[in-house]
This record gives sequence, C-alpha cells and structure tokens, in this order.
Amino acid sequence: MTAEPRRFVVYGFASVHDALGAESALRDAGLAVTAIPSPRELGELCGVALRMDPALASAAEVVFASAGTTPRATAQIDDL
Amino acid sequence: MTESDGRRCIYLDHGATSWPKPPEVIEAVVAAMTEQGANPGRGAYGMALAASRVVFEARGALARLLGVPDSRDLAFVSGCTEACNLMLKGLLAPGDRVVVSSMEHNAITRPLHLLAAAGLVIDVVEADPAGVVHAGDIERAVRAARTRAVICQHASNVTGAIQPIADVADIAHEHGALLLVDGAQGAGHLEVDLTALDVDAYAISGHKGLLGPQGVGLLYLRPGLDVTELMQGGTGGGSSEDESQPQGRPERYEAGTPNTPGIAGLGAAARLLFEHGDAWRAEEQMLFRELKEGLSALSGVRVLGPRPDEPSVPSLSLVSDRLDPDKIAFMLDRRYGIAVRSGLHCAPWAHRTIGTIGTGAVRFGLGHGNTRDDVLAAVSAVAEILS
Repeated sequence: MTAEPRRFVVYGFASVHDALGAESALRDAGLAVTAIPSPRELGELCGVALRMDPALASAAEVVFASAGTTPRATAQIDDL
Repeated sequence: MTESDGRRCIYLDHGATSWPKPPEVIEAVVAAMTEQGANPGRGAYGMALAASRVVFEARGALARLLGVPDSRDLAFVSGCTEACNLMLKGLLAPGDRVVVSSMEHNAITRPLHLLAAAGLVIDVVEADPAGVVHAGDIERAVRAARTRAVICQHASNVTGAIQPIADVADIAHEHGALLLVDGAQGAGHLEVDLTALDVDAYAISGHKGLLGPQGVGLLYLRPGLDVTELMQGGTGGGSSEDESQPQGRPERYEAGTPNTPGIAGLGAAARLLFEHGDAWRAEEQMLFRELKEGLSALSGVRVLGPRPDEPSVPSLSLVSDRLDPDKIAFMLDRRYGIAVRSGLHCAPWAHRTIGTIGTGAVRFGLGHGNTRDDVLAAVSAVAEILS
C-alpha cells in the first residue's frame, strides 16, 4: 500500500555540520524533525536537509534564530 | 601493562603518544567501525547520519573541553603536524616576518624552513637554558620590525617547560601580529581555554595528552581569521556543483573522507577529560614531581628543564656523564621493561637551546594511567644503570 504524499517544509544549510546543529537544536526544543537527502527544490543535490511539518515552521525559525543556525534555503515539498 | 610480545611495559613515553588508551576511547573507535561505518556527511541514510553525528558530537565535546564557543572553529586534521602546516602555510606569505621561539618542534621548523626558501623572514628568540621562552624577549623581537606572526609552542616536548602564551598573545596583538601556537604538548596535560588564551591559531594533537587515537588532530582558528586551506576536494555537503572549495568552517579545511574512527575515539576522550581531567592532571603532576625529584637526586644525572617545583607538563629529559642517552634508553627497555625515548625528539632547535644537540637526551613522559610504582621503578632503574 502506498502512502499519500504530504506537504513538508524543508531546510537546507551551508554544511552537514550546520544541518546537524540545527537538527540537534530542534530536537532539544521538542520539535519533530527528519534528516533527509537534500531535495532539488533546495537548489542543491548533495548534503543533508531537514524536513518538518509546515505547522512547526514558525517554531523552527525561532529555534534557528536562537541557535545561530540560519538555513541557506527553504522550500515546500510533497514527500512520502 | 603488557606490550604485544607479552612483556610487562612501564610506559613512560607519553610525550610521543599516550598509552594505553582509556577503554571508552577504544569502544568508540570500534563502534565507529562496526556500527557507524558509513562515510560521514556523504549521505542521509541511517548509518551515514549516525557517522555524521559521531563527528558532529565529537567536535562539540572538544569545543566544550577547549573553551571554544563555536565548534565550527575546530577543524579535524590528521594530527598536530598537519595543523601546524595548515596554520603556517595558510597564513604566511613571502616577505612576511615571523618571530619564533627556539624551542619549536620540527612540525614548526620544517614548514618554516620551506617558507623561508620562498622569502619568509624568520627571527628566532632564544629560550633560557631550561627551555622557557620569556615574554620580554618576544616583545623586543616583535618591536624590532613589522611582524606578521609570533610562533610559540605551549609546552616543550623536550623539557616540559610551559611557555607564557597568554602574555605572548597580548604582546603579539599589541603590535598587530598573530599568535600561532603548537599545542601538541599542551592540550590534555594542561587545562586549555582557547578563548581565554586569546590565540589566533592553536594546533592540537589528538593522541597525546588528549588520549585519543593516533591519526587525528585539530586546528583551532579564531573566528573570522582567513586561513587558506591546504587541500581542496569533496566535503559532502551542499554546493557540490561549485568548483571552488567551500569557505565555511569546518568544511573548508576538511576535504576528503575524515578519520571517523579516530574522531570518534577523540570525542570519547574529550568527554572523559571534561569529567575527570582536573583529577587526572593533579595525579599526573604529583607523580611527575616525584619522578623529577627522584631523578634529580641521582648521582651523575642532570635533569634538563624547569626545577621540580616549577610549572611543567609531565615530560622531562636527562643526560648523564656516565652513559650516552641511547644506552640508558636501551637498558631501561631491555632490563626493566621501561619505555622511554632517547635522541633529539624531533626538536633539534630545542636541544641546541639547552645544550644537548651533540648528545641528545633521554626523555621520560608521564601521563594518564601511570602509577607511583612506575615512578619508583624508573628512578630505581636509572640509579642501577648508572651505578
């Protein structure tokens, strides 16, 4: 059985280090996040991106600001 | 402890590398090879992410240990020698002038030799006979001409002398120069707070006082300091389509697959040192003082370096008027199972400074895991050999 695609917000970072730092900060803040291969919608085909429920985007941005880990790119994607 | 041939070994060569490694370090290395064996930063499947997190968390643990607010300012390299090469070759250009202490290791002096052939101007500041560099001497040299950088070790691998790095940093910065430090013998044996020391670059060995595996080290670079990388290549992350090397830290300095097992072990060591470092250093210093006092009291022995009651990292060298250093080291090994190192210790400048360039010396380096019995055995063995 195939799941229906859902809409997600994805964040790309300057480096894998930055992506993992952001992931750690999001988890510390209790926000659900999944590390995924960077999708082409972020404008790059390598590296690690972070995928989240769009409903958490506002909270995520607060976390990014306080952790000093600004995403390099943001996009909305439909993903499984 | 035993060597691979089953002989008992009293290991007193911590100045070269620490041994044995704490079990937690070995376990982390094994886990990196068995459970996190993918290439960190080169994929987003489970094991690649696990490997990436090992590197990320190790960097964070080391930053916490070394007083670095942003772990991106620590680059993993193959060892302190690569770190020294990177900071020197990445910052210095033909026509620059540097002031350098006379106690430096070949990891500094050989890159400088190469750079001098291309036009780098080098002024050497002599340390005193104990191997201590005096800040006033550095200041006189820096005042003499426009200086791009002061280069000074944190501690001597020959005499154990601790250099006044914080004072030298003030002097360098007051005169518009950088301070570049070879910290091979410092980190781990000393409590190191790189922010408080106010250094511009600090090269770190992972396998000596930090108790990690061989093949991994660190270079700390002050935030904003533009150091040209030694190598270009894959960094795994975004912007792979760019032909130029990423300029962000740490990936600018980490082209190619990292030594993940080594980094994992070093991270485990950093966590141990953060928790137990103060107690371990106190024990190390107590044993070292006993060793130094015991050897200094022997007839026919001259212990080089600071007096037993003066600050020092736990390495000392000695010479005897009765036997050459190589003979002493050989007999300590074969008769007593005591591992020490004779010769020039890759530091001919230092031996020239303290007057042993023609003979070398025997170095005893204590570290984590040594016991009072080791110290007593070493003093007794040297006494017997020279009797």
